[in-house]
Amino acid sequence: MLQSRSHIWFVSPAILLMVVILILPVFVAATFSFTDYNLGSQDFRWIGWKNYESLGKFSSYKKMFTASLTYVVIVVPVSVLLGLGSAMLISSLRFGGEIYKTVFFLPVMATLLAMAYAWEFTLDPVIGVVNKFLDDGCSVGWFYKFFTGSWLGINPTESWYGELCNDRMPNWLGHKNYALGSISFIGIWQAFGFNMVLYLAGLTSVPRDLYAAAEMDGANSTWEKFKLVTWPMLGPTHVFVVTITSIRSFQVFDTVEALTRGGPSKTTYMMVYAMFEKGVKQNLVGMGSALTIVFLGFVLILTLTQVYFINRKVHYS
Amino acid sequence: MAEIELKSISKSFGSTEVIKSLDLSISNGEFITIVGPSGCGKSTLLRIIAGLENQSTGDVIIDGNVVNNTRASERDLAMVFQSYALYPHLTVQQNLMVPLKLRRLSILERFPIIGWFMPNRRSKLDEVVSKVQAASETLQITHLLDRKPGQLSGGQQQRVAVGRAMVREPVAFLMDEPLSNLDAGLRVHMRAEISELHRDLKTTFIYVTHDQAEALTMSDRMAVMMDGEILQLDTPHEIYNNPSTIRVAEFVGSPKINILKGEYDEKGNLNCFGTKITDSIKLAQKGNVSVGIRPEHMELVSSNDKKTFKGDIVYRENLGSDIFLHLAVNEGEQKIIVRSEPSKVINAAVGDQVMIGWDEQKVMVFDVDGKNVTMQ
Repeated sequence: MLQSRSHIWFVSPAILLMVVILILPVFVAATFSFTDYNLGSQDFRWIGWKNYESLGKFSSYKKMFTASLTYVVIVVPVSVLLGLGSAMLISSLRFGGEIYKTVFFLPVMATLLAMAYAWEFTLDPVIGVVNKFLDDGCSVGWFYKFFTGSWLGINPTESWYGELCNDRMPNWLGHKNYALGSISFIGIWQAFGFNMVLYLAGLTSVPRDLYAAAEMDGANSTWEKFKLVTWPMLGPTHVFVVTITSIRSFQVFDTVEALTRGGPSKTTYMMVYAMFEKGVKQNLVGMGSALTIVFLGFVLILTLTQVYFINRKVHYS
Repeated sequence: MAEIELKSISKSFGSTEVIKSLDLSISNGEFITIVGPSGCGKSTLLRIIAGLENQSTGDVIIDGNVVNNTRASERDLAMVFQSYALYPHLTVQQNLMVPLKLRRLSILERFPIIGWFMPNRRSKLDEVVSKVQAASETLQITHLLDRKPGQLSGGQQQRVAVGRAMVREPVAFLMDEPLSNLDAGLRVHMRAEISELHRDLKTTFIYVTHDQAEALTMSDRMAVMMDGEILQLDTPHEIYNNPSTIRVAEFVGSPKINILKGEYDEKGNLNCFGTKITDSIKLAQKGNVSVGIRPEHMELVSSNDKKTFKGDIVYRENLGSDIFLHLAVNEGEQKIIVRSEPSKVINAAVGDQVMIGWDEQKVMVFDVDGKNVTMQ
């Protein structure tokens, strides 16, 4: 019997493109990660797992993992909860919701690199508006009292703010105690608007009848209804939002490149920035590839966890 | 068990008036059905009784207490929703436990982790579990307790929804079209089950539906509601046989009642397209009226009977137990449906010309305003 082979011709362009631009590069990177290849040089040596071993050996890579994971651990929960909170507040509004949506979504639409420079000026230790504000606050009685915690009975000069007033305001991006926090803050500022939009979409799909049923069942506070209906019904949205935010947080690069370049003392040395530094700036393609593969591993683990474990628990049918 | 009274309830959404000054008093343990076409305000009325919606004016009185300012959760009513509104993330057992837990356990006892250390939690939970067990045995859903709503069929979900309403022994049940999402066979079956449940529980039931068959079969009394008003409130028997207006007559009964254009002449005789309908109903005034005759009160007769219409069979609907003949009379201007036993119309075929007779005792006459002037 004659069988048409036309199906092969129909699918082959798509498969070819997928292999060439999506799958092949991963294999190339994986191959390079076992070499000491430098961009431009004619030959390279196979060095086995050495690149990967150095990831565990050198303190700068340990700092890289610490910085990346800390960033993710701060940015993901805060931006997810802020997104959920603002989405719930906005969806409870009778009017004006559109304005809030637009305003909170602005950072998502803006170019992060350009925004990073704006933040650099804002957080500048000398001319930045943040430190100017805090500086001026030292001489305003109630502001000083409130932030030093003296209204709680704390000795104002021993508090964090009190000490800053006596000394000088922090170098937000240049001091190792503050840099990661500042970068995380910008990350949250940028990410939560996106989460808010996803949650708004999720909230519209919660059946109104369930709230009525909860009310009839005796859930008379907002908290009870949230616990019984809103939170569980948003299950699929939670998974999606957390996964997307985690992946995006692992990918943070623009702010690091523009504001701290991984410093001070590698406290903001994120994975993608390390990739860029090794693979592009220092031409160590082998090392950069090893980092890429590890990074890919992280993202893959996140995605697979979502697919295999959590998805089953949040889709209720 | 509760008496529920509605006093001049009205409800407007913006400028649209959904319910117009409505009074209704429901006695203890009664099964009352509010029936009407979609959009007549019956669901809104139920939600007002439940406390999920606020009336614009008027009072809701439960057992003598005005509950206008009482929250839905504190009115001690239970509701079954058309969509069932089960919590999809909880198992059937947990679903049934929700209303009991929310009412019997304190906030601290319900709190995650902290609750585990509260002294009375264990004994209260045991009590809740045994109540749930008892309710699920009544409804024969014990084998479903560990499943989630998504794994149940429509009928099973419906039972769970009834169970959730039942466990905490509310003073009244409110049901908002609970059978609409079931297939026809199951709907008939659940009608009987809900009636039986009402007999067992002896609690007040307020049942909202657009299906007149449900209203006729299940209720002690039914309220026919249209355009935000109750047109007639009576037993199903009375509503079927003595509808107060032409709209009620048309809404209740399937197939629909035949409405014919008629007029009284000077002698007080009632005629439809030149044929005298009946001698027994006399009206003082002459003028135009509408004549209503239910399909089962008409039949095919042999041509030598006196009072008949001539008609053509245009469609024959066979339901097995009954046959509905659709006929065109008065030169095709009037459609009539005749409901007949199959044996009587075995030879009637589409296209045949036949003679139609009727039961004079059952004829209803409605005046120009639609009021039933033959009402006994």
